[in-house]
Amino acid sequence: MTGRSCVALLIALLTAVPAYAQAPAPAGRVKLVSGMAFVVHEGRQIPAAVGTPVYEQDSLATGADGRVGITLRDDTRLSIGPQTTIEISRFVYAQSDSQFSFVLKVVRGVVAYVSGRIAKLSPDAVRLETPSAIIGVRGTRLVLQVAE
Amino acid sequence: MNRPVAWLVVVGALAASAACGPRRVDTARAAGPSTVVLLADPDGTVGSAVVSSAAGAGMVDLSGDRAATTVAARRPPSPPTTVDAAAIEKQFGQTLATLPAAPEAFTLYFRLESNDLTDDSRALLPGVLKAVAGRPAPEVGVVGHTDTTGDSKTNYTLGLDRANSVRTLLISAGVDASLIDISSLGESDPRIRTADNVLEPRNRRVEISVR
Repeated sequence: MTGRSCVALLIALLTAVPAYAQAPAPAGRVKLVSGMAFVVHEGRQIPAAVGTPVYEQDSLATGADGRVGITLRDDTRLSIGPQTTIEISRFVYAQSDSQFSFVLKVVRGVVAYVSGRIAKLSPDAVRLETPSAIIGVRGTRLVLQVAE
Repeated sequence: MNRPVAWLVVVGALAASAACGPRRVDTARAAGPSTVVLLADPDGTVGSAVVSSAAGAGMVDLSGDRAATTVAARRPPSPPTTVDAAAIEKQFGQTLATLPAAPEAFTLYFRLESNDLTDDSRALLPGVLKAVAGRPAPEVGVVGHTDTTGDSKTNYTLGLDRANSVRTLLISAGVDASLIDISSLGESDPRIRTADNVLEPRNRRVEISVR
């Protein structure tokens, strides 16, 4: 390797590092909240507040009086009622390389869902899962309940 | 230690680890049945959903407003029924009321081969700012598009330039930079389908979603 290409490689590596170091973009944010509600991020419980970011693999959980509404980056909207636990198992929304995936796990409770652009651009990429059912959504609005 | 005692120790240790170790929770057994109800959009259109048993015991299609099915563990989904509106309100009303407001969409158009907005589109910017100001924890998605003139790589860059120029306008009008995400679809998602290398003003655009 010549000295010049070494320098070029070094510069490329140095400029590449900040891109990796950057925090990933949140999948969405909390827009509405009332009562006791948490975002579980990397094992930590964070009280949900308006603006709290929600990342892929985060969970949302509510107490007896809790409710939360979130909007995801592709305009998907979700809300959960009391005594509910859900997990954003997968959220991939990379328009430029046409990579789309949204998997929502509903562990228990009550959920309302309004599909966003992922369902529009790649209908097979959306899956809602409960302990007993798998729901493929072709748009747009549905509610579901997982009984105790 | 003689042999029978050693066996006892091994068996005892196994029993203890089975009793005290992390328990595997069979969620399909622990949870009750799931009920799924498809709803019409506010404008009256109804989508569809395919509901399958997680255990592979069967599937049903939901296609009408308030079409519902219930899935118990390892059972096929029940045949679709139509639930009455009052029951939905009782069971899901508060949750539906907690859905965030629908995102608001704006389309801004550009002059030929440039990232200058047309005058008409420039006049739409105050509406975008108003939408941002009226929302809790607002965020703005900005996607740049082009017509099919020129090659796709250049158009990807032009789309990104357009998205960037709108981002700059929004920031100079007071929108927090951290709320804005930009991307480009270049010529790949035209509003009006055309052959390659066709000038089409309606495809030279940026789509903004305020959510």
